[in-house]
Amino acid sequence: MIRGVDVRLAACESCELVLNMRDVEPDASAVCPRCHAPVRFRKRNARTQVIALLVAALALYFPANVLTIMYTDQFPERRADTILSGVKFLWERGSWELAVIVFAASILVPILKLGALGFLVVSATRRSAWRPRARTKLYRALEVIGHWSMLDVFVVALLTAVVQLGQFARVAPGPAVLPFAGVVILTMLASASFDARAIWDRGMRE
Amino acid sequence: MRSIVAKGAPARPWLGATIASGGKVPAAEIVICSYCDTVHRRAEVPGRRTMRCVTCDSPLYRGNGDLSAMLAVTVTAVIAFIVANALPLLTLTSGSSQTRATLWRAIMASYDTDLPFVAIALTLTLIVAPAVELCLLLWVLVPLCLRTRPFAFLGTMGLLRTLRPWRMMEVFFLGVIVAVVKLSALATALPGWGMFGVAVMTFALAALSSFDQGALWRRAEQVAP
Repeated sequence: MIRGVDVRLAACESCELVLNMRDVEPDASAVCPRCHAPVRFRKRNARTQVIALLVAALALYFPANVLTIMYTDQFPERRADTILSGVKFLWERGSWELAVIVFAASILVPILKLGALGFLVVSATRRSAWRPRARTKLYRALEVIGHWSMLDVFVVALLTAVVQLGQFARVAPGPAVLPFAGVVILTMLASASFDARAIWDRGMRE
Repeated sequence: MRSIVAKGAPARPWLGATIASGGKVPAAEIVICSYCDTVHRRAEVPGRRTMRCVTCDSPLYRGNGDLSAMLAVTVTAVIAFIVANALPLLTLTSGSSQTRATLWRAIMASYDTDLPFVAIALTLTLIVAPAVELCLLLWVLVPLCLRTRPFAFLGTMGLLRTLRPWRMMEVFFLGVIVAVVKLSALATALPGWGMFGVAVMTFALAALSSFDQGALWRRAEQVAP
């Protein structure tokens, strides 16, 4: 297999135009003649950025799960739900399918994303040769599922807004909403910063 | 011109062929996998298949570069967007009172009852972001289909690229379904026609991302070299 960096070819990230980078240093960048975006062989400072974003996301993961995400107030009952107790509530109302989806999207996916991205960064840094194809697939899966974790934020915002229309109850967002949205956005940024080509830079099999 | 190896091509015709080192191929015929940096030669795509990288199996490019089809899907999404916003997402019944909740009325209600943060977040993600994206797509697609170069083409394409990862319609769609179930604890909630609009828009946006985005750039180069 021939790799772009070996034959000094690189594709523009924004318009996919392939550039001949014969005179460009490996760490330097050229300007795309078609869309004027900078073109480089690898994303700059990818590893540092991913690690920084992962640490920030991990710090927010705990308040996001421990604090209340939604207050419900319907006389005479008053509830304060965390993400987990919201899943329990859905389960008890008999829609176990949705309970499973919300549990996966809100609790499982963020922590799996943090773990998987951490694993990808560490294995790429150590130039591991272990199943690069599978690791690339894992990375693509992370890109696809990333934004599904926003589900709970939408649900809380929608419930809050819709319930204001009727006069039968009150729903208000709790303090966990912001850290939770923060976790989702930071992990999305982290997976966008990762450069999958690092998986192949030494782990390449002929 | 040196030999060009088409590894795997006969056995798996949807795989891009790999060029041999030193093979002189015009840049327009080269595709580089953005996941593993393997260099491929662009081959004819059978049907609307997705061409995949021979090394890491990631999608390289798609055969579906029909700009008028892309325009048709965009117009569908615009209509669905109007339906989703104009008609009630759900109808709430509690005792004798019935409320038809359109997205906009719900947002205004949460703005009035001192929850401006929720109102602004919902407006940005569900109304402003999709509206901007659809307008930008029309802005680019209509002139390209008429074979003229769109005004401010580079900036528009850059903005579209920035917005794409933050597209969340399908998540919102599932969110409405979960909200309906949770609401059934407080009142009787039934989905309305606005939900249908959200569903169609979800599928239209998913269809849009299955088109070959490179086709836009190639057409723009043809009409204005």
